[in-house]
Amino acid sequence: MTDPVEAPAEVRPRIHIEKVVKSFSGRVVVDVDEMVLGEHPIEGLIGPNGAGKTTLMRMIMHSTALDQGRITLLPSGAEGEQIELSQLPTHHMASHGVVKSNQVIMDFEKLTIWDSLLLALAGAKYEQPLRIFSESDLFQESAETAREFLDFFSFGDPFGHAESAGEKKLLDIVRCLMLKPKFLLLDEPTAGLPDETTDKVMQVVRELAVSGTSIVIVEHDLNVIWSLSDQVHFMAEGSVVMRGDPKTIRENHTVVEKYLGEGHV
Amino acid sequence: MNLDWLDAFLVSGLFFVVMIIGLALLLHIQLGLARIANFGVVGFWGIGMYSFGVLFVKVDWPFGDPWPFLISAAFGSVVAGLSGLLVGWLIADLDEDGVLVGTLGFATAVWILATTEQDLTGGALGMGGLRFPYDIGTVKANETLWLVLLIIVVALILYYVHRVHRAPYGRLLTAIGDNEPLARSLGKATFRTKIWLFAFASAGMGLLGAMYGVMERFLETANIGIDITLAAIVGLILGGTARVWGAVIGVAISVGVFDILVQSYLPLPRDWYSQAIPVLREAIFGAVLIIVLLFRPLGVLGDMRRDKLMRSMHGD
Ligand SMILES: Nc1ncnc2c1ncn2[C@@H]1O[C@H](COP(=O)(O)OP(=O)(O)O)[C@@H](O)[C@H]1O
Ligand SMILES: [Mg+2]
Repeated sequence: MTDPVEAPAEVRPRIHIEKVVKSFSGRVVVDVDEMVLGEHPIEGLIGPNGAGKTTLMRMIMHSTALDQGRITLLPSGAEGEQIELSQLPTHHMASHGVVKSNQVIMDFEKLTIWDSLLLALAGAKYEQPLRIFSESDLFQESAETAREFLDFFSFGDPFGHAESAGEKKLLDIVRCLMLKPKFLLLDEPTAGLPDETTDKVMQVVRELAVSGTSIVIVEHDLNVIWSLSDQVHFMAEGSVVMRGDPKTIRENHTVVEKYLGEGHV
Repeated sequence: MNLDWLDAFLVSGLFFVVMIIGLALLLHIQLGLARIANFGVVGFWGIGMYSFGVLFVKVDWPFGDPWPFLISAAFGSVVAGLSGLLVGWLIADLDEDGVLVGTLGFATAVWILATTEQDLTGGALGMGGLRFPYDIGTVKANETLWLVLLIIVVALILYYVHRVHRAPYGRLLTAIGDNEPLARSLGKATFRTKIWLFAFASAGMGLLGAMYGVMERFLETANIGIDITLAAIVGLILGGTARVWGAVIGVAISVGVFDILVQSYLPLPRDWYSQAIPVLREAIFGAVLIIVLLFRPLGVLGDMRRDKLMRSMHGD
């Protein structure tokens, strides 16, 4: 391949998933023997509804506990030690650069859009109980970054609350971007977004990938997957049944159509 | 200055109201922002009061005023803060009902301890020997000065709460109360934040307890009943959490009306005051609490309008 985006695999952060199992009330929902995410800049994770894609992503974030198995983060070449994510509390993920956007809308009802961005940008040092005068320092440090994204995505009134479902969904993604992700998991990021916003999100995703972030994207709109990703993992019934570059996956009409219905390839 | 209008009853009535305002303000941070319903306010207040009192009375102090008071009050606050840390650690990950039972249980445990540890606390008989850390003449003057000092302490708490709303810390607490899993996914140490919030607020409640002990000069287990918690919660709910002043106004129109206006200015028969009025007050506050527990109207208080706040801070 001559894709200029492609950086050597060993310099990107990767996530290694080994013998990971999750059941809900006795029903196995995820059962992945081995899987490495992040060998390519942008990887797609596809499969029918209920295949376990969201659950697997939540297990990576440790917001769903694993029944069995191990998930480790192999940081990019230069940065040493591997980190066992499945032993870390959820709130440590962001500091290792592992960040996920949510499929279902997650928002802070009481916070404005500006609040959300400043919250994501604020380091713990600003949020101490006795630092009651630190807002202006935080604002000085963060406003430029926040404004850049607020303008780029043209939010209606950033001093107000996110109103529409689309705006909340977009805000969820922007919050993730504020965390300077090194490994970004996107769970159906474009569902519910207007087309021009989808394009902007995809543009940012590409730029992030170029600058060294590994991205895994779950998406129902397969056109997004085919055009964006360098590698596709196909999940069904909790396991990865196929992987390869988009072209290879599309050539497997039978498998894809069996799970996703006709007309998708 | 002519202070004739300020009779002993009014001073102690005002002291009680201002103190409950302080408790309601601390509760405003816990319940209004972080959505942790602390129903054990009196436990933290009481453990501060008793730890303070026991140390103050039992130790043969080698230094003069105000050091015995300051050291004992700091001790009372620290004990209350540590118990807040412990209770916070136990309840931080429980649901609303768990928090309710846990905090109520703590308050009960404090009451039982105060009653049974007779050697230390005097049990049901009570414990005397407390006094003001100064003497400026008459009892009335001493009490009035103590009221002024309490007003200063509570004004500082008010200012702190006001600032918290305008600080990243307040934003974090609001986010945790609003959607804790989401806050966690943004890298926020929500558990740690909640237990430290509990510790700090409890230390503040303990300090108010110590100051109350001095005002009463006598510690009784009858003081550490549920009515302190009720008064703070009812006041906060009446005033709402939309603005910091809510706690002040709510307490003023609930506790203030009952404990000052009705009791000193309404021409009611004497014996009503000792019988009917306290019972009525208890019944009304209790009914409000039951309504709170049944319908959880905590969300309908109207929260601080962060859109206005943000615009006033960062808008152009
Ligand atoms: N918290 C849960 N409790 C019970 N079942 C769940 C839970 N989360 C997911 N599931 C089930 O696990 C299966 C996989 O769901 P999910 O991971 O959301 O699939 P996908 O994202 O691929 O559509 C579904 O059958 C879903 O109903
Ligand atoms: Mg899903």
